[in-house]
Amino acid sequence: MDKQRDFVLRTIEERGVKFVRLWFTDVVGTLKSVALAPAEVEGAFTEGLGFDGSAIEGLTRAYESDLLAHPDPTTFQILPWRGEIDPTARMFCDITTPDGEPAVADPRNVLKRTLEKAAEAGFTFYTHPEIEFYLLKSAHFGEDGPEPVDSAGYFDNVPGGTAHDFRRRAVRMLEDLGISVEFSHHEVGPGQNEIDLRYADALTTADNIMTFRTVVKEVAIEQGVYATFMPKPLSGHPGSGMHTHMSLFEGDTNAFFEAGAEYQLSRTARKFIAGLLRHGPEISAVTNQFVNSYKRLWSGDEAPSYVSWGHNNRSALVRVPLYKPSKGQSARVEYRAIDSAANPYLAYALLLAAGLKGVQEDYELPAEATEDVWALTDAERRALGYEALPYNLDHAIALMEESELVAETLGEQVLQNVIRNKRHEWAEYRAQVTPYELRANLEIL
Amino acid sequence: MRVEQPLSLTALARAGFTDLDAVRGRLAEFEAACGLAAPDALALFRAAADPDAAIERALGLLRRDPDRFGRAFADAAVARRLVRVIGASQGLADFLQRRPGEVDALRHPISAPFDAAFARTDLLEAVGADPADDAPVAALVEEEGWAALRVRYRRRLLQLADYDLGQEDPVAGLDAVAACLADLAGAVLEASLAVARATARGTGPGRFAEQRVADTRLAILGMGKAGARELNYVSDVDVIFVCEGDVDVATRLAVLTMRGADAPAVEPGLWQVDANLRPEGKDGALVRTLASHLAYYERWAQTWEFQALLKARPLAGDAELGARYVSALAPQVWSSSQRDGFVESVQRMRERVLDHIAPADVDYELKLGPGGLRDIEFTVQLLQLVHGYTDERVRQRATLDALAALVAGGYVGREPGARLDRDYRTLRLMEHRLQLERLSRTHLMPRDERRQRVLARATGLAVGAAALVAEWQGIKRTVRGLHEQLFYRPLLSAVAALSPADRLTGERALSPQQAQARLAAIGFRDPRGALAHLAALTEGVSRAATIQRTLLPVLLQWLSEGADPDYGLLTFRRLSEDLGSSHWFLRMLRDSSGAAQRLSRLISGSRFVGELLGALPEAVAWLDSDEDLRPRPRRVLEEERDAVLARHETADAVAQALRSARRREVLRLAFAGILGVITIDELARGLTDIVDVLLEGVLAALRRERRGSEPHGFRFAVIAMGRYGGRELGFGSDADVMYVYRSADGAGGPEALRLAAEISRLTADPRLPLDLDAGLRPEGRNGPLARSLEAYAAYYARWSLTWEAQALLRARGAAGDRHLIADFEALADRTRYPETFGPAELREVRRIKARVESERLPQGADPARHLKLGRGSLSDVEWYVQLLQLQHAARIPALRTTSTLEALAAEVEAGLVPEDDAQRLRAAWLFASRARSAMTLWTARTSDVLPSDRTALDGVARLMEYPPRSAARLEEDYLAVTRRARAVFERGFYGDGSA
Repeated sequence: MDKQRDFVLRTIEERGVKFVRLWFTDVVGTLKSVALAPAEVEGAFTEGLGFDGSAIEGLTRAYESDLLAHPDPTTFQILPWRGEIDPTARMFCDITTPDGEPAVADPRNVLKRTLEKAAEAGFTFYTHPEIEFYLLKSAHFGEDGPEPVDSAGYFDNVPGGTAHDFRRRAVRMLEDLGISVEFSHHEVGPGQNEIDLRYADALTTADNIMTFRTVVKEVAIEQGVYATFMPKPLSGHPGSGMHTHMSLFEGDTNAFFEAGAEYQLSRTARKFIAGLLRHGPEISAVTNQFVNSYKRLWSGDEAPSYVSWGHNNRSALVRVPLYKPSKGQSARVEYRAIDSAANPYLAYALLLAAGLKGVQEDYELPAEATEDVWALTDAERRALGYEALPYNLDHAIALMEESELVAETLGEQVLQNVIRNKRHEWAEYRAQVTPYELRANLEIL
Repeated sequence: MRVEQPLSLTALARAGFTDLDAVRGRLAEFEAACGLAAPDALALFRAAADPDAAIERALGLLRRDPDRFGRAFADAAVARRLVRVIGASQGLADFLQRRPGEVDALRHPISAPFDAAFARTDLLEAVGADPADDAPVAALVEEEGWAALRVRYRRRLLQLADYDLGQEDPVAGLDAVAACLADLAGAVLEASLAVARATARGTGPGRFAEQRVADTRLAILGMGKAGARELNYVSDVDVIFVCEGDVDVATRLAVLTMRGADAPAVEPGLWQVDANLRPEGKDGALVRTLASHLAYYERWAQTWEFQALLKARPLAGDAELGARYVSALAPQVWSSSQRDGFVESVQRMRERVLDHIAPADVDYELKLGPGGLRDIEFTVQLLQLVHGYTDERVRQRATLDALAALVAGGYVGREPGARLDRDYRTLRLMEHRLQLERLSRTHLMPRDERRQRVLARATGLAVGAAALVAEWQGIKRTVRGLHEQLFYRPLLSAVAALSPADRLTGERALSPQQAQARLAAIGFRDPRGALAHLAALTEGVSRAATIQRTLLPVLLQWLSEGADPDYGLLTFRRLSEDLGSSHWFLRMLRDSSGAAQRLSRLISGSRFVGELLGALPEAVAWLDSDEDLRPRPRRVLEEERDAVLARHETADAVAQALRSARRREVLRLAFAGILGVITIDELARGLTDIVDVLLEGVLAALRRERRGSEPHGFRFAVIAMGRYGGRELGFGSDADVMYVYRSADGAGGPEALRLAAEISRLTADPRLPLDLDAGLRPEGRNGPLARSLEAYAAYYARWSLTWEAQALLRARGAAGDRHLIADFEALADRTRYPETFGPAELREVRRIKARVESERLPQGADPARHLKLGRGSLSDVEWYVQLLQLQHAARIPALRTTSTLEALAAEVEAGLVPEDDAQRLRAAWLFASRARSAMTLWTARTSDVLPSDRTALDGVARLMEYPPRSAARLEEDYLAVTRRARAVFERGFYGDGSA
């Protein structure tokens, strides 16, 4: 630790960093930031930085408003979009109470705790997300909803676009931040983009996702456009998912790989998938946490609506991707329900917990789905045992409330915060009169 | 050659042999090999710790190298030393087997242990390095170098062992030997580093250019026993590496240096070199620069890591760099008592001192068992840390030096200090001799008598196995009491005059500041106040004050283990002021450690107990007897009630006697509940019985007074409701009641109301409130306080679906007229166990519950933390159970009970509730009930909301038998258990309409 810390303090000096932002995340997954002058950084390492937690969603019990943020020096990065004039850096923080206990509702701590549990069982957890998002002309929208930047499908037409194009700029920035990416602009939805982050352990990935969202938003601002990770911003076009590839390693070996087994899937992998399938519905309120998330899940396209798994089956909830048998280390499974607006710390903690439970309690993997699950009739799906994912947020909350797995993983108090927060959202949503209703009903009733 | 005159077996036994028949043959063989005749040989071997082994090993050596060892045995002086060494050490005998030439070391006996400079020079020369060089480089590399230094080390060990075994008083000489062993270990590392420098030079993997190696400065710091110069014959040598210059080169040198001491090779390794005390332990870099070490300790280190630094000393390598390391870190070691978490880490350390993690061999442990070496070392270190901040003199590395400094500074009494010094040396001597035997790292007392006898002979501590074990047991006993003796007793000297005996021996007192530092370190939040209590308690020359001085040290220790030591000490002072002059109080506490410990636990953990004890100090006497802590059976309570009624005339007098009986019995139950001698079931029943008997007595006395003036045919009864009706009272529960009467002329109303009011008045007790709550009567607070049976019948017939009717499920006659009670219960049965309970009724009950949920929870209360009305807590479980009773009790008689848990069990039995669900409900109900009781016990006030203050949660958790510092766990457990119950409740109670 101290080597890293020394590196941080040295770099601040050498690069003339003017501000250091301490980053942490609330239960919804919104990035929070406190700025420090360089002189205060050393103190923040030693003592932590005190702040009033009551202002932040779900971070505290009401009476426990004093919290400390402890920066994690391994996450230090200079933020590239601030330029060289007033160089700014950031670090992620762990949040504790003044007596040193981890704050009950620090999502980063939830993931750390779950990773520790996996480590006790001998596993490390790696993830690799494919993050989709839309580029819009503006955050404001008219009667027809948001307007994508490129209904034509190409980027050059961005109004006000400069010589730098979005893609080059974003990739450059991410790589400056030490995040390797693969970028693809695909034309499924107008203005929709996908960026894949490289394989890393789940905590690093979650940190990277938070950084990534900020970078994309910053670059968009630079370019005079608006980026959104909303799960389903345009009703006629596909939603933005965050398909996540996962694998467990035991030491240096990929625990999902077994040469010669079906699809090279080890027993551990099969149990892990079984765990994801059994607990998929009850963790939906976290992997798909907004009212809007369910618009994506139930609109077909690339999003799964039913609980099933398959080899290269794009309609399945869990897909086992194809890879070269010689590349045993890249054995992995892909979870396709999670969307780009999830809180990555909580979502990954739950995915890991669900999979681990399958491994530890020896779940039986159901039969593989070889057909297109969407194309089946309801009766067929019932006969084949493909349970549906929750239909909406309300349904998801109800399932989560019944879940021991979620309670154990998040802790009782985070769970309460999440439920309170989500219930509130559902209640507000339900009270809305939507354009659809007006369109469909107003004139005839 | 034949032995001329066979030696008598007696003579052999007298010489210390045990295997007598075999010895004759061996003596013959010995004479044949070296010419020494049996009587001389006998004289020679009788001096060995283990004569049988000595002669066997001697024969082995003679077979290995007849010439050399023949000559050695022929020289009387050499023979004597040789036998002394191999008679005590198989390990050294093996060494001579491997290296017969080294026996000539015994021709040069030493008259004092080697000094450090000699050891360094000697070992460096053994590997062909120049001792005058600051960074010597060996002429030998790798295994060749290792073998050379190991053989030389063992040669010196042979001489040292000979010296050690020949000492007149090995107990007194122990520290010099231990220091020499540490110096030899340092010299080994120095020589090994020289070999490493030679090995790491050159080209190829793991080698560096000569200049790079020469430019790298590496210092080896000794930690633990090596650092403190109190090393054992064989133990891990704890080190830390510091470098300046090229870290890669330094790391390579460090690795090679460690290997030189412990890697397997032709000449076996000496001992493990352990570098795990370094920053970040096993995961940290093996070698760091000084700046990196300093930065680590400044910012990251835990308190225990500072404690480890206490013993750091430059051991080998670059002396200047090592010295800088020590002088830079020393201030931080000693300011660690000012760091956050110091008190907690001291407490943990204390727990380690007191609760040994019992190893399998606990009875044979010299080191880790109770009364072992570790006890002494921890106790001394703890005192050093507490007082070293202000007093530089106690900043010593070695245990014995530190002890001496603590005595000199007045922190430890002279007499206990001297005894401790001796005990520590004695235990260490035993350990030394045991390790010498096989040159192995052991600290287990041998189990068989033969080896115990050998140990007795090797140490010279006792004659024979039994005497040695007895001596050891004695030491263990003293050492066990030592922590109290050394840590707590001197606290009193800060406030009390020294006894004449103390003055005679020149004892000194702790200053108030020193004593306060100690009190704060063990968890007193107001050390100044605590010291004032101690002063008051021990003031004067009375007998009581004298006993207090003996008692308090151990009491302080127990109090400091509780959640609120300050309150405990205050209560103890009050008790002592009330009872100090009574003949039994202090004597009991002094003579019964069980009672004293129980008292400490009660008063440092419960204000409820503390306050009741204020009114009833005699209750302390119960603590001496388990029998007195059992709840009094109902029959005994009733006998007392009858006696009180017979003894006193007026209702007021009766009530006063019965109220104090109630306080007494509630206190007894509080004792029993906290000390865990009764089950929660017994507790609830006991608390209920106490109220029943009180009400019966008061009611009887009131009616006796009014005999003759009551209306014709007047009858009256008190009906228990709620938890009281269910016989499920906890500490701080209200007693819910209703009053019913009957009279022949129908004009009993005023009399009944008068009675009800009188009962309230006479049972009220400001010292231990009893809230007779009649709020569950028809129409609640708006209804008349007492009604006639007919009025109840009419009311319930009309309003059969109200909360009042449902409340009848827990109605039970508590006191008063038997016939009237029977009639009331029959009336209640018709209402509470209705023949028909259809969908309309079901809906109504659900509606009421839903309304109660939203209305009764106090403003702003967090439903998740409300024990009574909160999510999944008491009222949820009770409503669930009651709804099923309403629906099915008419049909299933087993459901007709006023007890929630009994009804729930009957519902499972009847197949109405799945066992899984019932378990969740039961768990939540019990948890919430226990938490409520524990909260009342902790604060002496009743509250329905789980506290959020960490100290309060910790106190409550301890009362619920959690380990110390479980605030967060209690909270999580409560939330989990009630969440599960709520899920069951929602499904079953509101559910799909078929509940």
